[in-house]
Amino acid sequence: MSHDELPGALGPSLGTDPFTQGDGTLPYLIRLRERSLRIVAEAAPAHEPKSAHEAPQEVPDLGPPIPELPSFDDRDESAGPLDRLAGMLLTPGDEERLAQLNAGLGGRAYDEFGLSPRITRRALAFFKLLYKYWFRVESSGHAVIPEKEGAILAANHGGLLPFDATMIVVDGVLAGRPPRLVRTVVDRWAGTLPFVNVFYARVGQVVGSRDNVRELLRLKQLVLIFPEGMAGVRKRAADRYVLQPFHLGFVEESLRHRVPIIPVAVVGADDQAPVLWDVQPLAKLLGLPFFPITPTFPLLGPLGLLPYPVRYEIAYGEPFRFYDEYPPEALEDPHAVRYMTEQVRRRIQEMVDQRVLDRRAKRR
Amino acid sequence: MRRVLVTHVESPVGRRVVKALFHDPDVALALGLGTEPEPSYLAPYRGKIAYQRIDLAKARHLQSFLHSERFARARPDSVIHLPFAEERARERVPGGVHSLVSETRRLVEECAAKGGIERFVYLSSVFVYEPEPGNGNVVSEGQLLGFDGAGDSLVRAWIDADLVCQGELHGSTLLMTILRSATIVTEGGGFLNSPPLAHAEPAVGYDPMLAVVSERDVARAIVLALHADRPGIYNIAGREVFPRSQLGAGERRVAGFALPAPLGGALGLVEQLLGRGSTQGAAFERYGIVPSSRLAHEALGFEPQYRIEVRGTGAARRIDTVRCR
Repeated sequence: MSHDELPGALGPSLGTDPFTQGDGTLPYLIRLRERSLRIVAEAAPAHEPKSAHEAPQEVPDLGPPIPELPSFDDRDESAGPLDRLAGMLLTPGDEERLAQLNAGLGGRAYDEFGLSPRITRRALAFFKLLYKYWFRVESSGHAVIPEKEGAILAANHGGLLPFDATMIVVDGVLAGRPPRLVRTVVDRWAGTLPFVNVFYARVGQVVGSRDNVRELLRLKQLVLIFPEGMAGVRKRAADRYVLQPFHLGFVEESLRHRVPIIPVAVVGADDQAPVLWDVQPLAKLLGLPFFPITPTFPLLGPLGLLPYPVRYEIAYGEPFRFYDEYPPEALEDPHAVRYMTEQVRRRIQEMVDQRVLDRRAKRR
Repeated sequence: MRRVLVTHVESPVGRRVVKALFHDPDVALALGLGTEPEPSYLAPYRGKIAYQRIDLAKARHLQSFLHSERFARARPDSVIHLPFAEERARERVPGGVHSLVSETRRLVEECAAKGGIERFVYLSSVFVYEPEPGNGNVVSEGQLLGFDGAGDSLVRAWIDADLVCQGELHGSTLLMTILRSATIVTEGGGFLNSPPLAHAEPAVGYDPMLAVVSERDVARAIVLALHADRPGIYNIAGREVFPRSQLGAGERRVAGFALPAPLGGALGLVEQLLGRGSTQGAAFERYGIVPSSRLAHEALGFEPQYRIEVRGTGAARRIDTVRCR
């Protein structure tokens, strides 16, 4: 910058103010104020920031930085009764696993999607009881889950309330090697429900939008998707363990982000609340995705929605790595994507059938 | 060396931008515009910054200014337009927020028509996006805008002004950069650009996540956009996100009444008949918008340098801006 461009004491030489040119109509107070400011500026040369200009700095000094803050859980001084209860229900091993999960947050109290380590801890303490004593979950095949990389878990869906998702998440924390928090992609309708939308977000569940899924995969998270969607939940008892047609989005995202698809078979969810009938007209009237009639609902009111104490079995299958077999252009080919989707669906169906047959054999 | 015209320099963000431009060796001169008498904070920066009082909402003011000797001598080649960075834009701006839209339109048109101006950086807000159901939704720049006729007047004005600037995105005369900022946290712990926090009564059962960004980081992003040859739309956000309840201090938590769309719709009809307000409120009061600033990182090199810390709750709540190490 040449010194010609730089002004003297009164700033850049840009001529007179077009709004203060003397036409006799402007309030003379403005001019008086300008003059008084000039006088003050001339009388106070010490205020000239020459030294500041000669030695530019990126931002003004904020003073000494405050010490690095501890992580969220340590910072929380007011552990409530729920936190203390969670402390009683969780073992030191569980706490250690939770600490490993929280490390990914970098000390933040919440992640981009609203996950709160504190509320996740409380929820885990409660759902661990369901996992161990109500559903008595048995799981296998954890070795296929990547330790640090992202992956899509594609699972069959069933049961009225999403306990299948909950049990997979708890399984990921309690039985994962290492423990990993599975981020379930939930239906957009769940995002509209008061209280439910907040709870889901605080325990790490995410509403299914493309941006959300892409961000999760970019952050190398485990993303649990139910490709059947609502069709899996509202299918009748006669169709239980028969997988409904899959949506294609999860295969597209797998190809786009080059992450494996891990097929997950859940046995038990379809027995927890068998749907006898879906009253669609009533569902439309109430703005619900479906209105189920089960042996206990609506007979027993909201209590009728509670799941029966069925045994759960979760199995993780060998991952599909379509991105190794297909070129990136396959993403644009709907036939290819549908073919890949069908392969995943068949694999999950086989895994489910095998376990259902084993169960029946055991009963006999 | 850039010669920059900055509008609304009296706003908190305008102040930060002026300071950043003063310390920027690649900026030769900045001419700040504002509707109020010259702010006192400009006094130490007169070496490089000049001030012009002008009401951009008035067409004749803008015309007079653009044809003045002052403008000719300044020869600005870039414009930074910050129309909505006021703390209480609704009350403070004469003529309301809609005058800010007409001012933006007029300024963009004049800059495109008048030779010499090459770059135009406009500060918008992420609340122009259509909120989707969910407590915390990551949104990229491709997200649809929320054309909600019944929405907040400030948000509608944001969308209109954003669209005006988008009209020049593919033009040949201006390099237009639109920065959509998350809730801006000022040095004193105040908030700018945040309609959810402007409403006193939160919706029961909803606690949307709000992304925050320090005003210093916003100013930095503006300066980066000024120098980068990458016109386009970029989200600007810091690393932290907080639920609305944690940022809104001293509020009544059990107030308002929000219901799912179908039930709320029926109840809303009853309330309408009774002459009362809607039970549902605007979508941004229920659903969170968390902008992804990945594109700004890749194209502009933007990386938040300040962390927002929230401590305590209610009246004892304190919000600090802490420089990242």
